[in-house]
Amino acid sequence: MFEGPVQRLIDELARLPGIGQKSAQRLAFHLLLVEEADARRLAAAIGDMRDQISLCERCFNVAAADECSICLDGRRDQSMVCVVERPQDIIVVERTQEYRGRYHVLGGALSPINGIGPGQLRFEELKSRLEPEGIAELIVATNPTIEGDATAMYMAREFKPLGVRVSRLASGLPVGGDLDYADELTIGRALIGRTEL
Amino acid sequence: MRVDWLSLSQFRSYQSLEWAPDPGVNVLVGRNATGKTNVLEAIGYLAGLKSFRSVPDSELIADDAGAAVIRAAVSGEDRERLIEIQLNRSGPRQVQVDKNRLRRSTEMLGVLRVVAFLSDDLDLVKRGPSYRRDLLDEIAVQFWPAAHLDQAEFERSLRQRNAFLKSGDRDQTTLSVWDSRLAQAGGRVLARRAKATGLLAPLLAVAYGEISSDGLEAALGYRATWGDGTLGNRTAGDYADDLAQALEASRQADLDRRLTTVGPHRDEPGFRLNHSEARTHASQGEQRSIALAVKIASHRAIGDLYGESPILLLDDVFSELDAGRSEALAASLPEDTQTIITSARPEDVPLTGLQWTVGDGISR
Repeated sequence: MFEGPVQRLIDELARLPGIGQKSAQRLAFHLLLVEEADARRLAAAIGDMRDQISLCERCFNVAAADECSICLDGRRDQSMVCVVERPQDIIVVERTQEYRGRYHVLGGALSPINGIGPGQLRFEELKSRLEPEGIAELIVATNPTIEGDATAMYMAREFKPLGVRVSRLASGLPVGGDLDYADELTIGRALIGRTEL
Repeated sequence: MRVDWLSLSQFRSYQSLEWAPDPGVNVLVGRNATGKTNVLEAIGYLAGLKSFRSVPDSELIADDAGAAVIRAAVSGEDRERLIEIQLNRSGPRQVQVDKNRLRRSTEMLGVLRVVAFLSDDLDLVKRGPSYRRDLLDEIAVQFWPAAHLDQAEFERSLRQRNAFLKSGDRDQTTLSVWDSRLAQAGGRVLARRAKATGLLAPLLAVAYGEISSDGLEAALGYRATWGDGTLGNRTAGDYADDLAQALEASRQADLDRRLTTVGPHRDEPGFRLNHSEARTHASQGEQRSIALAVKIASHRAIGDLYGESPILLLDDVFSELDAGRSEALAASLPEDTQTIITSARPEDVPLTGLQWTVGDGISR
């Protein structure tokens, strides 16, 4: 055990994902030894983020105002919504520059093991967006895991009857890669989802 | 396929061990608890990246040590490879093949193929159906490496569906989603089991005939908990359709019992001897012969498929057999196969091969 305040910081840091006791200790002592201003700036950045950022009222992306910058952007195609598990996933799709619609963050994927059913995900919020925004297509971009696939399947069953197109991101071979470097599951999926030439 | 040399450090009872086995038959002789089986276990670990005694890695590390190391040069398919494994008491293990770190354990499949017969393999015949499901699934992975991904997906989907049933949630759409995930993965698992059964069954009958002179016919059957109760030999898609129907039919029962009551995880593969259930009707000697015959059959099936013979590990098998069966087993063992046999009493082993004495090390 270290002096109270040091140990408190170590304990807090160790609660962060990917940080163990050892790393937490190293970070804490680093923050103790750097210029005080540097340490205070980090503390302030954490505080500011919590004060100024909240979730978008429409799509649950991170937002600096009531709505996020994507929802506020009038040039976006409102009829198309890309559904993701977490706000981080939006950045991944955005970086492609290929998508000009809006988003919806579910907040996870169906996983009864972790107590996550439809009620824990933001399906109702998505349903209430359909009519006012004139949404015609949902592109489900959940992770290609068993849980992500189950979530996509659930959405197809719940939303298709409401008259919207529901599609799923294709899963397949990495572009520019060699066939023999892909694992069997990826190749198997790519075979199932093959496209006609 | 063969092990050219093996080196152990802080593995089980061995502080260090260097051994260069013969490419043919090796008989490891030593009193009980001298570490004969540990050598087989190390070779098994090289092939499957887990202990065939189903114990966690930490139990393989010598008592006072922080890490155990298994190294071996193995030859097969005209090339030699160096496998190095370090098991750590804290932290994950490291596996290297030819000095390249393995990213996934599936990359190890096929580098070294081993068929092992252990004294508790009698459980395959004697005990519940889960032993025989595991046997078919393990053989499927040897035949088709991707099978383990289907099995993992099936297990995960099953856990999810069971968790849903236990949660008390009754939402039909959610349940139907898990039904369909489970049916799809289950269909693929079943298609592999059907193929594995088809490959194994005829070889089993032949091997049993060789080991045992009782004239009885050994067979491998499969009783399904879904469809019409038979497995047959169909496509993964057909099995998935059958499973989906069965899951729907048992939906109320599953909701009541909060458990998935039908599917590949409840099926019952079984051995039969002249049409009666070997588990309940065969004698101890007959059961032992069936267990051995299954191993010999899988050894042949894998050898046929890959065009080279897997290493055969036999842990103390001859002491349990009568003289007639011992001789017959020795005669039916494959040639051109590196075979490693342990025995407390060399006079029990009716085979000519190199005899090694196991104590602190292994010596001629």
